[in-house]
Amino acid sequence: MTPLLRSATLRLILAHLVLVAISTGLVLGFLYWRVGGVIDTEQRAVVDAEITGLLDDYARGGVPALAAALQNRLATLHDRDAIYLLADSEGERIAGNLAGWPATLAPGSGWATLSLYRTDRSRPTEISARAVRLPMGELLLVGRDVAARAAFDRTLGRALLWALAAILGLAVATGWFLSRLVRGRIAEVDGAARAIMAGRLDRRIGLRGTGDEFDRLAGTLNAMLDRIETLVSDLRTVTDSLAHDLRTPLGRLVRHLEGAADENLPAEARQRRIESALGEAGDVLATATALLDISRIDAGLGAEQFMDVDLGRLAADVSELYEAAAEERGLRIAVATEPGLVVRGHDQILALAVSNLVDNALKHAPPGSTITVSTEIADGRPALVVDDRGPGIPEADRTRALDRFVRLDPSRSGAGTGLGLALVASVARMHGAAIELGDNRPGLRAALRFPAEGTTPI
Amino acid sequence: MSRRILVVEDDQDTQAYLAKALREAGYTVEATASGRDGLVHAVGAGFDAMIVDRMLPDLDGLSLVRSVRAAGVQTPAILLTALSAIDERVNGLRGGADDYVVKPFSFAELSARLEAVLRRPAETKAEQTQIACGDLELDLIARTAHRGERKIELLPREFQMLEYLMRRQGRVVTRTMLLEGVWDYRFDPRTNVIDVHISRLRRKIDAEGEPALIHTVRGAGYKLAAAG
Repeated sequence: MTPLLRSATLRLILAHLVLVAISTGLVLGFLYWRVGGVIDTEQRAVVDAEITGLLDDYARGGVPALAAALQNRLATLHDRDAIYLLADSEGERIAGNLAGWPATLAPGSGWATLSLYRTDRSRPTEISARAVRLPMGELLLVGRDVAARAAFDRTLGRALLWALAAILGLAVATGWFLSRLVRGRIAEVDGAARAIMAGRLDRRIGLRGTGDEFDRLAGTLNAMLDRIETLVSDLRTVTDSLAHDLRTPLGRLVRHLEGAADENLPAEARQRRIESALGEAGDVLATATALLDISRIDAGLGAEQFMDVDLGRLAADVSELYEAAAEERGLRIAVATEPGLVVRGHDQILALAVSNLVDNALKHAPPGSTITVSTEIADGRPALVVDDRGPGIPEADRTRALDRFVRLDPSRSGAGTGLGLALVASVARMHGAAIELGDNRPGLRAALRFPAEGTTPI
Repeated sequence: MSRRILVVEDDQDTQAYLAKALREAGYTVEATASGRDGLVHAVGAGFDAMIVDRMLPDLDGLSLVRSVRAAGVQTPAILLTALSAIDERVNGLRGGADDYVVKPFSFAELSARLEAVLRRPAETKAEQTQIACGDLELDLIARTAHRGERKIELLPREFQMLEYLMRRQGRVVTRTMLLEGVWDYRFDPRTNVIDVHISRLRRKIDAEGEPALIHTVRGAGYKLAAAG
């Protein structure tokens, strides 16, 4: 196929043209046929009525009365196309505007169209007529001169053809105009897409402010591009952070191993080096595990293992796991739960999230303070809340704190994977719950708010 | 006669490392990289246990274990996986595996779990009411613990930990085994929570002057044993 024929707009115009031609042709053809038909039928009805009337005249006064009636009609009728002929049984004209009885016309044979001479014309004209034989043998012909009718037909036909041509011309014009419009808008989208593919991720499709379908489509596409740009930049941040978070401990790991490879090193120092190396490897693994967990949780894996989870029990169990570690740091974990708060969830993944929250509190709470793990129900939504008395998170940073690899306190770099709260946010999404970071005055108040009972998480 | 272990692992390094370490630990080892070969071996020759990688090129480990179980062979099986333990472990256990170890793992961890699955039947058969280790006695009905004449006050969870250790006395118990066995948690809490619990428990069990019963096994975990 040639490129021209492959163009969708050209094909559309052609299809448009064919459709317009067919539909217009049908309409005009029907018009032509009906108009001619109506005129013919009307004329014939009039002629039939005239014959009946003239037969009455004949019955009343015979041939003279009929001849008089004909003369009278010819004299008074405005219809110059009316044709009458009264002839004797031999075909000789008695009255009427035809020169003589046409030889080929047999009376009583219905409608016939003949070329005949009128008395008032010098050339023969087309006449459509009906003939009857009168009771005494005379012949009567009533008809209409159809020359004008043929001319009308020709005029009508010509007019209809012109109309067809004009409509087709218009169709081509509108098609061309439409295709230009569509092509222009498509070219804009195409241009933007190519620019984006070439790396200009901030390029957007221009709007014309008309609010039409194209503008609306462009608006939707732009919104999609915004979302993609956010995701890409998120991914870039994560990749960069990941590279950084892996390179740093890996670098230390290499240094420890290089140190351990030193032959002159006393055995004890070598052992320390190797243990440090293992510690660094553990950090790398923790980062990888947390990332893997987040991506698996985001993918909704494990959702088929959902069960009823008692929030109070969950709070108590996780608190108890951390209780000894807290005591070692001079902290206390208080548990305040309401009985009977049950949510649908993955017990392990929820416990992982709560342990992340408690672990986080443990890392930030000042010695001697109390961490509270509690459950509550607000607006029908069960919630699990972990409070600490640490420095908290400034309001402006609370959304960012849920992103991956965000460590709000730069001096604490190295402590933790920077993935703890991101993981909690993932777990919340998986359960249709909300993670809410609030002010505990002082400290952080982290709440996992689950959907109200009876509503199923996505 | 040494016990025979089937290792199905497609990574040559890991396979060689496992085979060598298991042989050094006194096992007889048969190793293959193919899941289909592994299936034939597992169903045919009487192994005492099998260690199967979760992801094999031809037949994945989970299907292998499932097929072995479908063939009516109850050989204990441990799955190795590089995937996250959180939800995969449940799938593995439902598929008929007895335990699940997440890669990368220390041999100490695998060896401790292998010991555990090899002894599993013996653990469950007896309706014990009392367990003893040296002069430490645990009454499973009254939920009380005594060391000689001294009554030891234990929190419920501490009692559970001690029971878990005592049922496996003389064998290494890893931190993840404790976390799974006592708390039923499959994730890594990252903080030294288990170590702190153990050191608390140790303070209660091993009073000053008494011979230590809870021993730390470097790089692996803990062991409860009388005299060494």
